[in-house]
Amino acid sequence: MQISLKDWIRSGSPWIWLSASAVAISVVLVLGLLGIIASRGLVHFWPATLQEYTYTQAQDLKIQVLGEQVQREQVTAEQIRNSGIAVPEGMELLGRQLIKVGNREVYGSDFRWALENQLSNLDYPTYATSFERYEQGNFYGFILSIKENGQITAQQEKGSNQLWASVIERIQQTDLIHTKIKALEKGEIGAINYKLEQLRLDERRLVLKGDDTPENLAKLNAKKAEQQAKYALLEAELRALYKTLSTASLVVITADGQTKEINFSKIVRAYQPNNMSLTQKTSHYFTKLWEFVSDDPREANTEGGIFPAIFGTVMMVLIMSVLVTPFGVITAVYLREYARQGFITRVIRIAVNNLASVPSIVYGVFGLGFFVYFIGGNLDKIFYPEAAPAPTFGTPGLLWASLTLALLTLPVVIVATEEGLSRIPRTVREGSLALGATKLETLWRIIIPMASPAMMTGVILAVARAAGEVAPLMLVGVVKLAPNLPMDMNAPFLHLERKFMHLGFHIYDVGFQSPNVEAARPLVYATALMLVVVIAVLNITAISLRNRLREKYRALDM
Amino acid sequence: MKISQESHNTHISQKFNQELEDIRSQLLEMGGLVEQQIQDAIQSLTEGDTQLAKEVRKKDREVNQLQLDIDEQCTQILARRQPAASDLRLVLAVIRATADLERIGDESSKIAKATLKLSEEGTSPRGYIEAKHLGNHVRKMVQDALNAFARFDTGQALAVLREDKNVDLEYQSATRALVTFMMEDPRAISQVMNIMWVLRSLERVGDHASNLAEYVIYLVEGQDVRYTKTEVIEAALTHPKP
Amino acid sequence: MNNTTTAPAIKMADLGRNSQQLNLAQETTSIDVQNMNLYYGTSQALKDVTLQIPKQRVTAFIGPSGCGKSTLLRSFNRMNDLVDGVRIEGEVNIDKQNIYAKGVDVADLRRRVGMVFQKPNPFPKSIYENVAYGLRIQGINNKRLLDETVEWALKSAALWDETKDRLHESALGMSGGQQQRLVIARTIAIKPEILLLDEPASALDPISTLKIEELIHNLKDKFTIIIVTHNMQQAARVSDYTAFMYLGKVIEFDSTDKLFTNPNQKQTEDYITGRYG
Repeated sequence: MQISLKDWIRSGSPWIWLSASAVAISVVLVLGLLGIIASRGLVHFWPATLQEYTYTQAQDLKIQVLGEQVQREQVTAEQIRNSGIAVPEGMELLGRQLIKVGNREVYGSDFRWALENQLSNLDYPTYATSFERYEQGNFYGFILSIKENGQITAQQEKGSNQLWASVIERIQQTDLIHTKIKALEKGEIGAINYKLEQLRLDERRLVLKGDDTPENLAKLNAKKAEQQAKYALLEAELRALYKTLSTASLVVITADGQTKEINFSKIVRAYQPNNMSLTQKTSHYFTKLWEFVSDDPREANTEGGIFPAIFGTVMMVLIMSVLVTPFGVITAVYLREYARQGFITRVIRIAVNNLASVPSIVYGVFGLGFFVYFIGGNLDKIFYPEAAPAPTFGTPGLLWASLTLALLTLPVVIVATEEGLSRIPRTVREGSLALGATKLETLWRIIIPMASPAMMTGVILAVARAAGEVAPLMLVGVVKLAPNLPMDMNAPFLHLERKFMHLGFHIYDVGFQSPNVEAARPLVYATALMLVVVIAVLNITAISLRNRLREKYRALDM
Repeated sequence: MKISQESHNTHISQKFNQELEDIRSQLLEMGGLVEQQIQDAIQSLTEGDTQLAKEVRKKDREVNQLQLDIDEQCTQILARRQPAASDLRLVLAVIRATADLERIGDESSKIAKATLKLSEEGTSPRGYIEAKHLGNHVRKMVQDALNAFARFDTGQALAVLREDKNVDLEYQSATRALVTFMMEDPRAISQVMNIMWVLRSLERVGDHASNLAEYVIYLVEGQDVRYTKTEVIEAALTHPKP
Repeated sequence: MNNTTTAPAIKMADLGRNSQQLNLAQETTSIDVQNMNLYYGTSQALKDVTLQIPKQRVTAFIGPSGCGKSTLLRSFNRMNDLVDGVRIEGEVNIDKQNIYAKGVDVADLRRRVGMVFQKPNPFPKSIYENVAYGLRIQGINNKRLLDETVEWALKSAALWDETKDRLHESALGMSGGQQQRLVIARTIAIKPEILLLDEPASALDPISTLKIEELIHNLKDKFTIIIVTHNMQQAARVSDYTAFMYLGKVIEFDSTDKLFTNPNQKQTEDYITGRYG
């Protein structure tokens, strides 16, 4: 046995097992991480069953509760007793449920913990309806009647569902109007506001230049008047739309018998989860999922979608790549091809490598101090005096965030590119030079294309790092809620000075800064998953591009 | 470039050294055998020893076989080693030398045949002295040429070339004497003619010996001196190297 | 033959030689190397090299590794310039012009003196673009001219039949021998005067090697060809003249016929007959 163990060790298989298990652990960790994020995040969009209980708070105080069961856990009876709640003798463990009861304006809080032994008469009322609202979270209850201009126009008995169809229809109508309003506000009115702002700046510019002659001013004023006239028209249209919105409302009753009137314009959607088939639930699920990726956030980011954050993240990463690639490549080319190798280049390389290990928040501070205040401030002074005292570039924004991250990821690109350049066989360079090409021609026509896969590798690593970075961004441009996307239909279309939203920061914000932590938790997971997906998509795009280049410029086997 | 005896023993490949050494020593062995054949043939002629003559004729097969063996080895070396410069010249010289040695063997065999014929048809009244003399002379030439080959000695090779003239003179005077004799005594023409053939063969042996000497010069100096006058070769050999 | 004159004037070397043989003295010089010394830092790689390379002939450089034959070859198109710390003394004259003089356009020189390397080094481009590369560098973009030159070069390199149907496929998909012929085609496409071949067949199989050798034989009417090779049989097969180099010096330079049958120098003899230890 002794000998065979010795042989076994000598045969090297322990090391194979060791490395294999290391790989296995890594795979399990990665898959586990993704699994947890995905399950916690994606389940949120599934229409949960509404449960109704009788909740015995004290001997004579019983209330009906309607809501979704969010979480369930076991606690020791001891613990409950210590908190002053009576528990029957002989019970060691108690079940405890977190129920989302919604109806914030009625109960004051969306969630409620309940001990299972105090819950009784569990029921799944078929027509229990869940209303998603633009404000104040979900409402759970039963439909009573529809009011038009304060007059009840339709009514139903409790336990019947005859109003359901017309409720849905009305919600769809208001939804259409909402879409119109949104289009107006964001589109045409937004454009007019933008133009008016530009005109104001033009005027200010004229004043600063001393060109504010009556003719110039008159021209501007004429333009202004034109825009304002347009604005007046649109505003009237908008007002009319709002008016049609707020006429109808819905009267609902909660499980414990309180009636509540909800204006239809406040309802995003209504559904009766206990009355839905699997197909309906699935379709509902994907609608919600689509809303999550494509919509703006609502209610302090705890509801709605994360589209601006996705857009901001992708935008920032793209701009960062555009900035870092040429810069890093040029640096690497100089270092590898032109600079005389010696002490100084070695020092530069060490410096570059050290740059990669500087904590990212330091970059944030640097970006804020140098890019935002110094460069941005000076840019404002030189090019945007008309906007003063409001800063244009002298405030955190997309450009500075991208630049800061470009700086952060520069070492990666430099190192990867240098690596790629050094791997190009000398014979190929010599082949080109021997044909009468100059060094520059050789570089441009042969070396750079052949090193492009390595450069792409650098960019991939840079993207991976940049997309996941949060800390420096908080200083140089990311905000919790950006009023506008950094790209829109107003010239110059790409607004580099604007602040933007970012998935990483969104996770932090929703998870830790939210007023409604319980409601936000699934969103944190979903957003995290989204971030992972975005990074993966960016990486896969870059990797497939790299692989195509690699195939094309497959280096000669040396 | 001039080469010496040691030239062929300094290759990186020991086996190549061995192969070159083998063909060289086998050539010398063949030379020794051929030399013996001449001697035996002349002895059988002068002493009328038919037994020895038969022996000579039998041994000629051995000579032929040796030629085949050596040529085969040379072919192998050419194919496998692709020798250059002095190695190439050695192999070529050996191939050529075997051909000449084989011809010398043939001439010895012819002499032995003449001995047998003379013993049947009656001895020749004259010519034995001349034949013996000429025979020893050419045998010495063959011996010298082989020695020159063994030692890469161009001086000795040149001496062999010079000696060939004397052999020719001797052959001419001997044939003239025999022709005169035949004119005086036509009855002996048949026997004397046999001796004449012997003399002719011996003269050819001398030519072959001088060929051998030329190969030695080719081997050592790298210049093909066939069809070049002896005086010119001599002048060139004594010309001081730059 | 020259053997009727008075005795003392006759040299051994005059005997038995055919007057039709190649003779260095009768050749036109293409590259004239005068007292060239080359140093890599402190070590001297070429020592007082003086050599006249004949025009439109194949000249081979042979010698043991590190003898400087590749260095000498690479100094004809100034590829040594790429090495740090290289220092050159003496002259290399091509068409009576010292290529190491000041103001010489190195790119232009390299157009006139083409080079093929030991390992096939096609660019990661199509076959067509590989051959057209040198022309494009010169700013030639005329499609017809490019097409004609590419075809001519590929035909000259005996590669046209194999490649005419896949001109726009990657050159990296070709076999090693084809790649090396492609590199030769690429080099002759810019019509240099001199073709330097640095062990062009050392990475190839025997059949490809023979094809390259045949190609060299066919090209020698148009170009002055200089080939460095480790393979002595190859030098013997393809070259008209051979220079034997040892420790940075040209030991012997003579017609290949002479050098491989009867070299003048003992070092040459020892090398070509395999006597170095």
